[in-house]
Amino acid sequence: MQEDFHYYATYCAAFIAGYSHEESLQICYGAQLVDLCSKTFLTKLKAPLSAATTQLQLEMMDARLDVVGLQDITRIWASFHFLPYDLYAKKPKRSKSYMHRYRLICGPDSELVKETVVLAKSAPLPAVGLAMHVLADTWAHRYFAGTPSLVINNTNYHFYEMVEKDGETTERQIRFTHKPSSPDDVFEGVYTNTLYQPKERAIMNLGHGRAGHFPDYSFARYRYLPAWGDYEEIIKDNPSDYMNAFCQMVYALKYIRGERDEFETGHYEKENISRWAETIDEILRKRQLNANDDWKEFGKSLSGQEIEDFVIEKYMDEYIHAEKDQKDDTYLGKFIIAALKQKSMVTGKIYRSKNPLAGISVNYNGKGIKGIRDYAKLISAVQGEKHESD
Amino acid sequence: MNQIKRIGSIIVALFMILGAGLMAYETDFGYRFILLMIGLSLEIAGVRELIYYFFMARHMVGGNMMLIKGVIMLDFGALTISLTDVPSGYVILYLLGIHVFSGIVEILRAFEAKRYGGNWKLKFFHGMLNMAIVILCVIFFNRPEIAVYVYASGLVYSAILRVITAFRRTAVVSIQ
Repeated sequence: MQEDFHYYATYCAAFIAGYSHEESLQICYGAQLVDLCSKTFLTKLKAPLSAATTQLQLEMMDARLDVVGLQDITRIWASFHFLPYDLYAKKPKRSKSYMHRYRLICGPDSELVKETVVLAKSAPLPAVGLAMHVLADTWAHRYFAGTPSLVINNTNYHFYEMVEKDGETTERQIRFTHKPSSPDDVFEGVYTNTLYQPKERAIMNLGHGRAGHFPDYSFARYRYLPAWGDYEEIIKDNPSDYMNAFCQMVYALKYIRGERDEFETGHYEKENISRWAETIDEILRKRQLNANDDWKEFGKSLSGQEIEDFVIEKYMDEYIHAEKDQKDDTYLGKFIIAALKQKSMVTGKIYRSKNPLAGISVNYNGKGIKGIRDYAKLISAVQGEKHESD
Repeated sequence: MNQIKRIGSIIVALFMILGAGLMAYETDFGYRFILLMIGLSLEIAGVRELIYYFFMARHMVGGNMMLIKGVIMLDFGALTISLTDVPSGYVILYLLGIHVFSGIVEILRAFEAKRYGGNWKLKFFHGMLNMAIVILCVIFFNRPEIAVYVYASGLVYSAILRVITAFRRTAVVSIQ
């Protein structure tokens, strides 16, 4: 997914769920920030680098592909963009190392999505936005894993797009090129993807890199052979999946606001958004590089307010100039704590499923920090929260 | 990284440093050792590719390519080891090619990192170091011991990185 959905559509979902214009803006800012909070960004803020929720292309090219480097990559991408569907999935006649990768394949309506939403309940708005990003991405990124793996994430020439033309559905083979500087041609079906690297742990084999940016377009409908699928085709219908993502966001946001007692997977707020369903479906199916303007217009029709564009610098000064003991109370401070919590939760779950790909997770026992020093911030924040609630 | 991997990493690093020292001390042996290492690394890569095929890639769409790749690598490895008399110029050219490429890439990445406001100094230093090695290789093209020194210093550098990695804190804290 891209800015149109993570920022503008999240604003719309938050507003429909009952948040005010200002609150919705804070939520959607947090959702979009997940795609930009890299180590480079955190270095500028002098903030803990372990709170990174994404990696820039430049950072990925520099990333070390030793055990520690791969674990760092997996923590980021599995926690925030490719939330694993089933950490205990079974598949006969597969080696252990194959299954470790297979179990990280992303999918919606998982136990981890539920944990993510529950974690955001009673958390500040930046954390709610972060959770909405993770939830929405489970729909767009399903069938790919947030760890570099050729045997899971590779795609080949058998990749066909379904195109509506004069009321009829036709198919065309997608042409993938490797020029990151040239924009995708959504009308001719030419998309940029990563180079084929026949190495299992090559960074090019991370997530949906081999299918390029294509799975992130809401209009995309396609069939292809996933590397893990035993030569069985998968048909992916993004307009329908993205609609589910939107409805699930509204459902989750209502739960977070306290309108529901429980968040259950497989439930979407379809009935309550039925009056906007046609408009939303139209935006989702429109063939365009990004749908920012359409979502923005829709958001304006909902709240009657202008939705400001996303500017990454918006909260930077507040964080940089805050006193050391007050940084955690700023917008970015809250976002950083939320990122550490999410990463800690997902890494812990992966580790406890006996999967080593995201690294080691140690239980905090109140007797000092054994792990990465950055997580001391998370411990002090959680202790502060406990202290307040007592 | 668990304790066993950490200890294993340190032991490998110590052997690398020992090997580098031996090569630098006895350059004639070192030169033949480099040739052997290139051949052996191809053989090991071939075997690893075959293991990768049998344990993972055979389940992948199009995974048969890994089997072919593994066999070809094994063949090339055997061929390299069987070549007993390779002029030293070729080995120096090989090292030169590697360092020119990594030097240019590192410097370009340093500039890019600077543009984004990230850490760039270490990358720039690496790039310049690579270029310095290239200049050294060109000046002393006819002296095979230079190739040995360059290779040995590369080994020491990798060993140091291994030790640093082994001591890095890697665990994420989980709060129940």
